[in-house]
Amino acid sequence: MMHGLTKILLMGLFFSLVLPLAILPAQAQRRAEPSGPPNPFAGNSQAITQGELIYNQSCTACHGPNGGAGEIGPEIIHNLSVPLRGELNDNQILDVIRNGAPGTVMPAWKGKLADDDILKIGAFLHSLRGTAIDNPLPGNVAHGEAVFWNKGQCGTCHMLGGRGGLRGPDLTNIAAERKSNLIIDALTKANHRVYGDGGVHLRALPAMDTYDAVHITLSNGRTIDGVLLNQDGYSLQLMGDDNQLHLLDRSQVKAVAEKPPLMPTDYDKRLTKEEFADLMAFLTRQGRKAPAAAPAPRNADPD
Amino acid sequence: MREFSTIAARAFLQPSLLVIIVTLCGSAAAAQDSYPAQPGKDWPIYGGSYNNQRYSSLKEITPANARNLQGKWMYHVEGLQGLESVPVVVNGVMYVSGYNRIDALDARTGNVIWRFRRQPATAAYQRGAAVAHNRVYITTNDGHVLALDARTGAQIWESKGGPKASFSGGPPLVANGKILVMGNRFDTVGDGGGFIQAYDEQTGDYRWTWRAIPEKGDPALDTWGGHAPGGGPIWIGGAYDPELKLVYYGTGQPNPQWSGKGRPGDNLYSDCIVALDVDTGKLKWYFQNTPHDTHDYDSTEIIVLADMTFKGKPRKVALQANRNGFYYILDRTNGEFLQATPFVSRVDWGTVDPKTGKGLPDPAHEPTVKGTITCPSTAGATNWPSPAYNPATGLFYVTATEGCGVNTLASSAPDSETSYLESPRDKEAWQLYTRAIDAKTGAIKWDYKQVRSNHYGPGLLTTEGGIVFSPEQFGQVSVLDAKTGRSLWHYNTGDLITASPLTYSIDGHQYLAIASGTNILTFGLPEPVTAGEKKP
Repeated sequence: MMHGLTKILLMGLFFSLVLPLAILPAQAQRRAEPSGPPNPFAGNSQAITQGELIYNQSCTACHGPNGGAGEIGPEIIHNLSVPLRGELNDNQILDVIRNGAPGTVMPAWKGKLADDDILKIGAFLHSLRGTAIDNPLPGNVAHGEAVFWNKGQCGTCHMLGGRGGLRGPDLTNIAAERKSNLIIDALTKANHRVYGDGGVHLRALPAMDTYDAVHITLSNGRTIDGVLLNQDGYSLQLMGDDNQLHLLDRSQVKAVAEKPPLMPTDYDKRLTKEEFADLMAFLTRQGRKAPAAAPAPRNADPD
Repeated sequence: MREFSTIAARAFLQPSLLVIIVTLCGSAAAAQDSYPAQPGKDWPIYGGSYNNQRYSSLKEITPANARNLQGKWMYHVEGLQGLESVPVVVNGVMYVSGYNRIDALDARTGNVIWRFRRQPATAAYQRGAAVAHNRVYITTNDGHVLALDARTGAQIWESKGGPKASFSGGPPLVANGKILVMGNRFDTVGDGGGFIQAYDEQTGDYRWTWRAIPEKGDPALDTWGGHAPGGGPIWIGGAYDPELKLVYYGTGQPNPQWSGKGRPGDNLYSDCIVALDVDTGKLKWYFQNTPHDTHDYDSTEIIVLADMTFKGKPRKVALQANRNGFYYILDRTNGEFLQATPFVSRVDWGTVDPKTGKGLPDPAHEPTVKGTITCPSTAGATNWPSPAYNPATGLFYVTATEGCGVNTLASSAPDSETSYLESPRDKEAWQLYTRAIDAKTGAIKWDYKQVRSNHYGPGLLTTEGGIVFSPEQFGQVSVLDAKTGRSLWHYNTGDLITASPLTYSIDGHQYLAIASGTNILTFGLPEPVTAGEKKP
């Protein structure tokens, strides 16, 4: 005889596992495998532009511009400043466009749009999700590198490939960390903010990445100029203009004066149009494409 | 009045320190062995110094004042799990590592100075990074070695790794202008065995590989009875003798792990202590603790180097409390066996020849389908978390596990595997002790009994101040009197502890630190409140 509790558990199993499969076979099969043939238009700037046009004609009404959510459809691009994490991947998105989302108002576009057009929408969405390195900007990369180190004087503050200054962030991997438009903003817009700076629910203490320039007067009269890396009510952490870390106790500090930002934001004016474009072509190629996932734990440490 | 803690800032006041700045500003020195023989102000390397003694010269915290210790700061290491790494502290900056990442903290306040992250993010267990010559060296879980600027985290170089490299999480070792890293399987397919690999510190160029399983032409190949050699994984850092130019590493168990029938023989170089030439990677000598191992008694416990008079003769020795229950003393110049003594009460997997040190496994204790009870258990009489050696007390401190285990084979097939469990028998359950052993005789001098345990415990450190800092698996940390083992102070960290501790000082104030769960916690004595100390 079946124990009462076991019976209830088994019934629960039936309702939670078996029944939904019977009722919603389409939904159960809806999500495509993450892997599939690569999109032939991925990274093709012309196709991406065409994909944006098609997207705006077919998708914006529901999903909003740039996939950022509309009145009817959900957002496709979740956070404009960081690559997609954990959401549908390219192949799964293409599957939804082609076959629709059963049980929702999302129609199947297969037959309504040519498959090449669907692929171009996919390439456009990919470009929104990726960082600069997924869709590097056109230009003369070698010339852009020369601009970086010479006329642009970027190396005064920034390191790249183990060379350069220490007061600004390392740019070795910048194209894998930022979208192209954010790199352009950083070089052309005063007081620009990275989307997500404010109003985001933090899950961990972030590093302070504002790189504020300061002039510090110590109690003994000495002064230190540098960039603020972190601070709290009792201490300051500073990268000095002398290329040394200064870890200060506020009891030793008489005054902290803010200085104008070190980062020029008029590169679109101090460089020619061509120089700026080439610099962007260089910067949007600096980095390493992120691997899809961590490798299998072949080397999981035993004990 | 508190001094500010940066070396550069202090240089304003103390011109003699300018020399240090100049050295630090220079590029990475090629063949410079930068770590002091004993850790003091800094804890610059996993084991405190090349010799892994974990014997700090700091004396501020003593048995007399340890009762006044208090929490100083705490830092949550976001995105990781159960930390196993030992942070290192250099020039007031603490570097906390995981695979593909570093968090650099102000070691006085815990404030983040910079973070380095490289894709893919992973919470896989990792055991440390190396800092030397103003650079931080880390391995990635996809086979790269990276050099970062220690001041900013900027990437100086990235080495794609040598042939077939896939690294385990043990800390890299910077020695004689090279960065030594390690792995468990020297291959992308099959079982290529454990390995040590060296890269050039300046450029990241690949230099050499030593493999823990013999290659063609090596007579050691005959110790496998015709079976293809496998195993010998290497997953914890080594020791280095800058005078002998030898690095010392322990290798893991042979494969298959539990069934020895298919691989008759000693199965070299599994379960060995090996000495390699730092410049060439050539094997200078080896000593096998557990021949023909069927209990997973890896020899990966930390190897401690010391100079001592042993039986009337000055010796450069290598000390190891091995997982198999014996405490070994070897002459590290040539691998000569000097002594082995059991450091736990029950050892029955086999015996050790007192003249040669050769392990003689008892076939009656091979794992079986029915299950075989053996002492110590596979978790070991101790494991990889670090012991400590205090030359002043002459004591070798180790987290020891009393008890036995049961190994049960899945089938009688020659490569059948199993896992291991605590012995179900009375008085064979695992019990952890912080144990002090006379470093020369192996006699147990005192025990501090830890409360609750289900596996091996964390590592230890000792100081010239006369204390042992003793964390426990279940989250308690204690300060013990190095001479007597008496508990002087304790604190509940609120999470499991597996890592080994460190100590350092800033502006003359000593800190004790430990990774517990996903937090770094630090402790120190109260500092006098000065008139100038106020929130502006």
